Amino acid sequence: MLEINNLTARIGDTEILRGLSLSVKAGEVHAIMGPNGSGKSTLAQVIAGHQDYVVTGGTATFNGKNLLDLEPEERAREGVFLGFQYPVEIPGVNNAYLLKAAVNARRQHQGLGEIDAFEFLKLAREKMAMLGMDTKFLNRGVNEGFSGGEKKRNEILQMAMLEPKLAILDETDSGLDIDALKAVAEGVNSLRKPDRAIVLVTHYQRLLDYISPDFVHVLSEGRIIRSGDRTLALELEEKGYDWLREAANG
Amino acid sequence: MKPAMLSIDSLKSAVLRLPDDVLSATRAAALANLDEHGLPTVQHEDWKYTDLRPAIDISNRWLADGAARPTGGDLSEAIVSVTGSIDADWLVIANGAIDMSHFNSSPGIEIERFSESAAPFVMDRPLADLNAALLQDGLRVQVHAATEKPLGLLIIDDANSGAAVTQVNVEIMVAPGCDVEIVEYQTSSGRDDHYANSVVTLDIGEAAHTGYVRIQERRIGHVQTGRLSVSVGKDARFAMASYDLGGGLVRNDVDIDLGAKGADLVCNGLYLASDGQHIDNHIRIDHRVGPASSSQEFRGILNGRCRCVWNGKAIVHKGADGTDAKQANHNLLLSDNAEIDAKPELEIYADDVKCSHGTTVGQLDEAALFYLRSRGLGRHEAIQALTRAFAADLVGRAPVSAAKTAIAALVDARLAELTLERTS
Repeated sequence: MLEINNLTARIGDTEILRGLSLSVKAGEVHAIMGPNGSGKSTLAQVIAGHQDYVVTGGTATFNGKNLLDLEPEERAREGVFLGFQYPVEIPGVNNAYLLKAAVNARRQHQGLGEIDAFEFLKLAREKMAMLGMDTKFLNRGVNEGFSGGEKKRNEILQMAMLEPKLAILDETDSGLDIDALKAVAEGVNSLRKPDRAIVLVTHYQRLLDYISPDFVHVLSEGRIIRSGDRTLALELEEKGYDWLREAANG
Repeated sequence: MKPAMLSIDSLKSAVLRLPDDVLSATRAAALANLDEHGLPTVQHEDWKYTDLRPAIDISNRWLADGAARPTGGDLSEAIVSVTGSIDADWLVIANGAIDMSHFNSSPGIEIERFSESAAPFVMDRPLADLNAALLQDGLRVQVHAATEKPLGLLIIDDANSGAAVTQVNVEIMVAPGCDVEIVEYQTSSGRDDHYANSVVTLDIGEAAHTGYVRIQERRIGHVQTGRLSVSVGKDARFAMASYDLGGGLVRNDVDIDLGAKGADLVCNGLYLASDGQHIDNHIRIDHRVGPASSSQEFRGILNGRCRCVWNGKAIVHKGADGTDAKQANHNLLLSDNAEIDAKPELEIYADDVKCSHGTTVGQLDEAALFYLRSRGLGRHEAIQALTRAFAADLVGRAPVSAAKTAIAALVDARLAELTLERTS
């Protein structure tokens, strides 16, 4: 589904990704871990198409299409979803408007008709109930005045409504108390499907107690230095990242 | 460069050709004032950013051509389109001529024409003098009781038979204790140059409440200068909002006089401009006594090569203690070629006052834009959503509720068009 080969990218004059390769297949859950500044968030932003990151080499394809040629909205319509580490507050743009416009953009791309108001509301209510969200959030500005936990739930709500093929969740666990973390993790688990891939970008292994990944990768200085199964995450929890970095450099 | 002077000789002969009637003396006095002072140039502080030469040029061509009242094309369809969009009792002035056929008389409203009664009071301002010098008629509206529907004032022009100029003058008096809503709607069409100069005088009686909406969607390229002079009585409330969506060169002068205790004023405005537009809002609020409060909030969205001006002046006169005056102006610039000249101004001669002002000029929030696009919204749709959000608050607070839906639709349509070309 997602094939990244020897990808290099910079922001401004700083090179952040330095030859990153990653292969993600449908149905798989991957966790990308690594110390601060290793390039985890950059990878997520580059896959989503953020204009501030300049790809300087390598390839990234999504279901055979050159991802790097596509505008951010085209990637979304193809089925790529980025759950933001810091969801943006957009006062004045209604949450329901965004959800509906997003669902319809995706449906139009798939050659389906627009969702009607009744159907939309029914779907939104159902997904919100699953995430333990009050429906009043539909009528608020996007993330406007939301708490940290509410913002992250709102990201998962968008993912649930959009039903992406590939979801990259950037530090979805950061800033969450245990109840919010459980609710978000349950939401993500309910969205695991054989035709959907999920990439979790996380600093701590805490999230992986609730969402069990098939693969764990360690990112350091812009490339993956170790891949393994979920036991690698436990090993990192115990030993930290330094032993791996020393091994990689040595 | 086109001459910067209004041709007074041709103006004189045009005024002399008008029939001798109840307005003759007023026209002569205004003409004498104009002859002495002329029209302002960019040398005047109040006109520093707005050059009236396009208005002068159209006027001179129209005067040279015989200064006939423009006939224009058939406006009936355009009139119905406006009057059908806002449920109001409409007074229509089409190509300068009064058309009462869209007005349903209401027991609370009394209307007379200047030509059949008396001339209006003319404020000593150059454009008011120009208006009065060429005035052939006008309306005096007295509101004695609350009306069921808002009072509509549609000023509509069509220029298809050479350069044309129209003068509109309306006086509205709101009786003490009376609640009324008013919609002023200015629009124009036609391939030829057009200059519309309007004067609206509004006198709000003691403890009366008036909501006033101004919608301006003239053809881009047409010139409008519009004056609104308001006096607000004791314990009276005046809430206005202007929506400038079209026009080439547009200058709005809003003068509000708070001459009695307890007056409460809200003066808001939204201006949307793109290539070839120049929209200038000059507000002057005179706090003569206290306590009284005034609040201004203007917002602008600019794209392409255009210029907007906001000058919000509040003068707190000596002795106007207990004055509360607020000014805010926020601008969103979508292009490097767009210019905003924002000038908050407070002149305070009283001791016990609360005054504040704030101005911001910003660009589109790139993080928000990326967020929306990452959800599948196209770039244009995302920019539209963000600009609509910037304008939404002022649309929602339109002080005439019957006009809100129409204003929202006009703003949406204008933003859809304005955001299409993003030059940087």
